[in-house]
Amino acid sequence: MESFIKDYDKIIKKQRTLETNDPLDRLIAVVNEAKEKIRADPSSVTSTLAVLGKSIKTVSNGISEEQKEIQSSLSKYSKAIDKKFTADMMAAINPHAFDNKENILRSTIAMHFIRQGNFEIGDTFAKETGLTVPDSMRHQFMEMFDIVAALKEDNLEPALQWATRHRSGLEKRSSTLEFKLHRQRYLQLLMGRQVQEAIAYARKNFAYFGNRHTQEIFRLMCSIIYMDHIKTSPYADLIAPNTNADIQHMFTRDFCSLIGLSCDSPLYVSVTVGTQAMPTMIKMASIMKAKKTEWSQQQELPVEINLTDDTKFHSVFACPVSKEQATEENPPMMMGCGHVICKESLQKLCRGSSNLRFKCPYCPQESMASQAKNVYF
Amino acid sequence: MNKINHEQLLSLEHPFVKIPVEKFRSSLRVSQKHIEKEIATLTSTVSEISKKSIQGNMDPKQVEVALEAIVTRLSTLKRKLKDTRAEESLYSQRTKVRLQHLQEFTTIPTLDSDDFARWSRVRLNRILIDYMLRDGFRETATLLAKSEHIEDLVDIELFVQSAKVEQALMRQSCAECLQWCKENNSSLKKIKSTLEFSLREQEFIELARERRSQEAIAYAKKHLTPWKDTHLKEISHVMGLLAFPPETKCHPYKRLYDKSRWNDLITQFRSNNFALQFFTPEPLLNVTLQAGLSALKTPMCYQADHRNINCPVCDPNTLGALATDLPLSHHFNSSIVCRISGQIMNEDNLPMALPNGYVYSYNALAEMASLNNGKITCPRTGAIYDITQIKKVFIS
Repeated sequence: MESFIKDYDKIIKKQRTLETNDPLDRLIAVVNEAKEKIRADPSSVTSTLAVLGKSIKTVSNGISEEQKEIQSSLSKYSKAIDKKFTADMMAAINPHAFDNKENILRSTIAMHFIRQGNFEIGDTFAKETGLTVPDSMRHQFMEMFDIVAALKEDNLEPALQWATRHRSGLEKRSSTLEFKLHRQRYLQLLMGRQVQEAIAYARKNFAYFGNRHTQEIFRLMCSIIYMDHIKTSPYADLIAPNTNADIQHMFTRDFCSLIGLSCDSPLYVSVTVGTQAMPTMIKMASIMKAKKTEWSQQQELPVEINLTDDTKFHSVFACPVSKEQATEENPPMMMGCGHVICKESLQKLCRGSSNLRFKCPYCPQESMASQAKNVYF
Repeated sequence: MNKINHEQLLSLEHPFVKIPVEKFRSSLRVSQKHIEKEIATLTSTVSEISKKSIQGNMDPKQVEVALEAIVTRLSTLKRKLKDTRAEESLYSQRTKVRLQHLQEFTTIPTLDSDDFARWSRVRLNRILIDYMLRDGFRETATLLAKSEHIEDLVDIELFVQSAKVEQALMRQSCAECLQWCKENNSSLKKIKSTLEFSLREQEFIELARERRSQEAIAYAKKHLTPWKDTHLKEISHVMGLLAFPPETKCHPYKRLYDKSRWNDLITQFRSNNFALQFFTPEPLLNVTLQAGLSALKTPMCYQADHRNINCPVCDPNTLGALATDLPLSHHFNSSIVCRISGQIMNEDNLPMALPNGYVYSYNALAEMASLNNGKITCPRTGAIYDITQIKKVFIS
């Protein structure tokens, strides 16, 4: 990539020199020179004009050389671009997959803007497309962004109020958000040397969390002793620098899950996964085109697209023996030793009889088909 | 797994770099052509002055005046070319910015770094702007580009010109589009475009609609006959309209009179315009989304009890609805996701089976037990067990 940029720089340089030594200026200078000479010495008209004719020719030859050179370098560069950036993206598209679904796509985009906090852009888009964004969603996200903005400035009050209000919902999801917020506030007071206030705060707020966060509370109270040099104490981790970012993230995640939405904008997730998947899809589509099959008519993609861990949302079980994906008719079964294979492979191993002892393909342990249990991922 | 294959991902960026380079080239060509023409005029004018002066038909004073006139001409041209020069600068600078943006990308090491997330967001905004510009939502696109400071990474200006032509076509006026065809004649010929013929055809149809038969015939003589070598059949069809009034029920002619032909013209103009400027024929958003949704789609996404709120395809109102016609993803390797924590189960976070056969990750179960006196509750069945009752599961 670097050498590519260097080549471009060379072209730019040539063009800049042509700009500073403007061809029109050169011609104007030559004509003016001749004009001045004739004014000064009218008798030299013929010779001056002859000289002028010649110098125009020289100058214009020079100009057209330079221009040709730049044009040819640019066109070579353009061809080099074609060679370097070769993906034929249109091979991988199914032009009819989104037919008649424009409105769904557009409302997804509008919601994406709201989720990212770009309210002005979301409104402009809604106006231009004629869609309406559900007001409730807009209000909720505005509230969320207000609270996050406050968190960014170390103001935990709005978040705390929200967390207390939604205590039962958070508990149902096993979220520790409320306690973490109180903990952060307590540490803020402590680090600000307001020891009395910190203790009072702890007395007031930690009691409710006594059962579930006992150890943590012990640590927090003991850290008062090390208040002055906490960084060198065993409690240094309490004031690690990314705790604020973690709390913001946790708050965003819990807020979204309480209103039934995903943590990240789904559009962002799909597009990021799509970008990574595209090179593979393009290769696959071109191979399929050569074989005269349409990739979009298949029920299932013929190749595996590798996903990063944070984009794996469903369990996929592929039997290690048959390499087939588990389905309702062919569910995963766990044998007595703890290894899991799909039902069909299991049946093949025990040859249909449910009382035959067979050896697990992966360990020396033997078991019977009737001992195998269904597992649910 | 988390390493980025830079070459592969960069190869997707052909339009990104090609578009400004080609714009740079074409504005450069425009100014160069003007200069070449001017030089030709200049040379012939000077040689004429020379001849006249030698023949005694021009005295030195007149020569001076003539030379002055030449200088004025050159200065005027220089002023006229100022705009073209500004355009050249814009595109040459823009190409540089984009090349540097791609260069930055090559320095990002892994898929889970913050830098990659930031670069991904920029890319998402870029393709959203591309999508919005194609459908005419210029206000939002401009606003988004400005607020994210990515004006150089998108091509808003290129859509301003085409918007004018499209609006004219929507008002049922072919003139602007014909002008555009004239300006881009050579490139349109290269892609074998029939847009100009379609426009002439439509203008003839409109004359026939208003029963201005004499004008229609004259128009056909002037503008349709040049196309007789390639489009004789269409020409003879359309001439037939002179015999049928606009209210005709006769099918082929009814179709010719149909107003929806204007929409077809707009589509044809758009696709020619995109081809000329090296845009992809379909929005990048569509391609990318299809790839992503297919890669994420599993049979479980459409089953209510397997819904994961974080999975984009599971949402039936938005992306789930878009993904219905796309193929499912395919996997040779297992990956198990814990229903409690959403984490992947692997050697750092072993999958554990409860006595009822439901599997969760060790970390999630341990945390649950530590908050509940060693007892765990299966979230899906409600059954309660002790943490000591869980068993290791081996999936590969």
